[in-house]
Amino acid sequence: MKILVAVKQVAALDEDFEFRGDGRDVDPDFFIRDLNEWDDFSLEEAVKIKEASSTPVDVVAVSVGPDDVDEVLRKCLAKGADRAVRVWDDAIEGSDPIAIARVLAAVAKHEAPDMVFAGVQSSDQSFASTGIATAAFLDWPHAAVVSELNYAPGAKTAVFRRELEGGLLHEVEIQCPAVLTIQLGINRPRYASLRSIKQAAAKPIEVLSLADLSLSAADVGEAGSASRVRRMYMPDKGRAQLIEGDAAAQAERLAAIIREFKGDSA
Amino acid sequence: MRLFYLLGYAAIAVFGYGVYVQIRKYRRGAALKLDGSFQARLGDMIGKVLSHRTIARRDPAAGAAHRLIFYGFALLFIGTSTITLQYDILDPLFGIRFWHGKFYLVFSLVLDVAGVALVGGLVYMMYRRRWLRLPKLDYARPDRAPGDPDFDRPQYRREDWAFLWILVVIGCTGYLLEAARLVWLQARPDVWDTRWWSPVGALIAEACRALGMTEHGGALLRHGLWWFHGLIALAFIALIPFTKVKHIFTSAASLMVRDPQAAQRLPRIPESQAQAGVAKITDFNWKQLLNLDACTKCGRCHEACPARAVGAPLSPRDVILSLRDFAKATLESGAIPEAAELDVHGKAPGQVAQETLWSCRTCMACVEICPVAVEHVPVIVQMRRKLVEDGAMDPLLTKTLQTIHKTGNSFGESKRKRAAWTKGLPFPIKDARKEPVDVLWFVGDYASFDPRNQKVTRTFAALLHEAGVDFGILFESESNAGNDVRRVGEEGLYEVLANANVAAMAGASFKTVVTTDPHSYNTIRNEYPDFGGRYEIQHYTSFVKQLFADGKLRVTSPLTYRATFHDPCHLGRFNKGYEAPRDVLKFLGCELVEMGRSRANSFCCGAGGGRIWIPDPIGSEKPAQNRIKEAAAIPDLDVYVVSCPKDLTMFEDALKTTGNEGKFVVKELIELIREAIPVHRPEEVPA
Repeated sequence: MKILVAVKQVAALDEDFEFRGDGRDVDPDFFIRDLNEWDDFSLEEAVKIKEASSTPVDVVAVSVGPDDVDEVLRKCLAKGADRAVRVWDDAIEGSDPIAIARVLAAVAKHEAPDMVFAGVQSSDQSFASTGIATAAFLDWPHAAVVSELNYAPGAKTAVFRRELEGGLLHEVEIQCPAVLTIQLGINRPRYASLRSIKQAAAKPIEVLSLADLSLSAADVGEAGSASRVRRMYMPDKGRAQLIEGDAAAQAERLAAIIREFKGDSA
Repeated sequence: MRLFYLLGYAAIAVFGYGVYVQIRKYRRGAALKLDGSFQARLGDMIGKVLSHRTIARRDPAAGAAHRLIFYGFALLFIGTSTITLQYDILDPLFGIRFWHGKFYLVFSLVLDVAGVALVGGLVYMMYRRRWLRLPKLDYARPDRAPGDPDFDRPQYRREDWAFLWILVVIGCTGYLLEAARLVWLQARPDVWDTRWWSPVGALIAEACRALGMTEHGGALLRHGLWWFHGLIALAFIALIPFTKVKHIFTSAASLMVRDPQAAQRLPRIPESQAQAGVAKITDFNWKQLLNLDACTKCGRCHEACPARAVGAPLSPRDVILSLRDFAKATLESGAIPEAAELDVHGKAPGQVAQETLWSCRTCMACVEICPVAVEHVPVIVQMRRKLVEDGAMDPLLTKTLQTIHKTGNSFGESKRKRAAWTKGLPFPIKDARKEPVDVLWFVGDYASFDPRNQKVTRTFAALLHEAGVDFGILFESESNAGNDVRRVGEEGLYEVLANANVAAMAGASFKTVVTTDPHSYNTIRNEYPDFGGRYEIQHYTSFVKQLFADGKLRVTSPLTYRATFHDPCHLGRFNKGYEAPRDVLKFLGCELVEMGRSRANSFCCGAGGGRIWIPDPIGSEKPAQNRIKEAAAIPDLDVYVVSCPKDLTMFEDALKTTGNEGKFVVKELIELIREAIPVHRPEEVPA
């Protein structure tokens, strides 16, 4: 039995960052990188299922990215993943979630898992589409925002709950294999101690190229993407201000602002 | 007579078997190589045992009583042994006899006095237990509830009383024997005329005669008592290895294997060891298993523990006793049970619960006061290492550890902001990575990032500058020193931090290190050497004291405050830095009033051992509040002086939450120095 968990190395902004030369992203020097928070929960869910299962289960963490992504994969290995797979080719640079999903779907075909987990979204880009697009490429059943899961490896179906608006819960039965995107709070991710991360460094990380997955450069990067980032920028600051003083003074000031806004010259 | 010898051999055989079982138990622990010379250890132990120094601390009455018991017992033991030596060995083999004449008389006098000492000491101990009802001798556990099988452990009380009574009975029957012999042999002048050389025996003999005991009666009584006394004494010997009596050996041995740096320098995890920390009882090393048996339940650690004092589910005594019961149940039988039965983590009898381990502040109060060198802190930290490995900890602590790993500080701030506090200072601070300095100032997390402490940090920078000290800092190359990370039990992260700081310091040229943070001070001073970082390091209190002594800092407007000083654990107990801050307070002109718990007995603020990152349970008293209440009892107190960034945070908070705000203030010693040396006007600050 096998569960494939798609993980992403996300970037958080450091203080006083600068934009990249082309203005379409932040200069990578100002990133603090870490495992995407949602993926922490989906990996934990897979490892928990593995630990509760009587039949052997392989948890395989997969990520698309250059070699510094090995750091988050090692964290996954430290937290209990059995194997880690990383896909990279310079042509993948600039891919949108659809192109990444195409790569992940190719990995899923390659690995033939019984279930694929992904996070609902990534904390840096928040497209919330990679997991679902992967399901589309695979033509597998899928569900988003899973907040409770009942799945025994090898079973034909899984039952899960999703949170809906207004505090409603959706209980769904799904055919396996399926792609589920996992919501925060579904479990309590374990802590990967520095020693376990260090020990995980001894485990190999399998690196796959596009060719290994029978993909070409045209399937990825901007060529394989459905969208393109035009610009990243900081919007102008809003103009909120606090009006002080007693009620009369506040009213007077407020009236002045309104007149100013209307263009009246008092 | 032959029967008695047979019983004697049997007693010795039982004793020998018991010793074997105990030693086998210790040898089932992990290996450990002690450093230091055997002779030095032996000498240290003998000194402590003979002087009773450690037993008399903070409880002179118990010390005195134990001294009477110890010397009384030792003399009687030596006396009895020499009789055996002559009677069974020297006389039959070589015809040597020394038990006669003057020697015999003096010896009987000495032994009579020794008996009085022994019985007197024992009776006082009974008085303590029965009538003084000292809380520290109450075996009820803060980490168990009434009704739990190991809540108040009445078997301990029974053993205590049996121990006291058996010795009292042996002592008293000894006197009765002596008296009976005198009555029996009253006709023999060599016996009767010298009777006052054994004054207690003679007194009882006179009493017996007055009550009408005849020579024949004396002979009969002596015969019966002789057997009774002898059998009890033999039983006592046989039981030594199986009862608390074994402390005679285990406590002495524990003192001998003592590590004076037990809490200050925690052990590394050997490269060859795959698992971190202690999961099974057999993961403890033989010395720790011996420590468990050395405990005499005197309760001093129980009394000193700040966690216990505020009702947390931890008593260092009970951690040790629990594990001792566990080791006894699992490691004293012929075969060691399966691994699953050796797990020391949990809530079953003998196991130690997570909440108990996480309640510890690693303040070292327990280790410091233990009269028999039980080292609780490494035991607790090594058990925590296993919890960290399993992720069994407070979610906020998990978050903090991840943050420290990611950013190198516990505030989750960018590395680049580490030296942000220097902005706006009217003078530049040297970058020790780029130019040589005399003094490398290791700033530490709290002093760097906490807004309240940043003010103190800036003040200290100004003082150094005005004193003409050539100093620099490491800017963003400095990381959290790791002292508390290590005490949490996250050894892997500690290694990362220690290595990073040692590497950063290797890239700087300096003569000495100074820090305002006692936590950083402790780990750099005592633990970085294990990572290749050997430096001369001072806490700022001793450094500033020297600046005053050298005339580089001068008090221009003396203070008249009535002040009390809180010894930070890591400066005081850990590193014996008691005097410098007090001397500085005197230089400033303050009147120093000590709190009841000061110096070695200082009461932890509650922030140690990573507890600053774990919220205290709502509604319960915090150690810092307990401490502030103690200070509030000092009449007309003006200032509660601290010399640790975490203390400033903890106690300013406690001052407010205990409703003492406005009555006195909490101040860093640095702030008082600033007050006594008013700031130069900006234009006067040398560029």
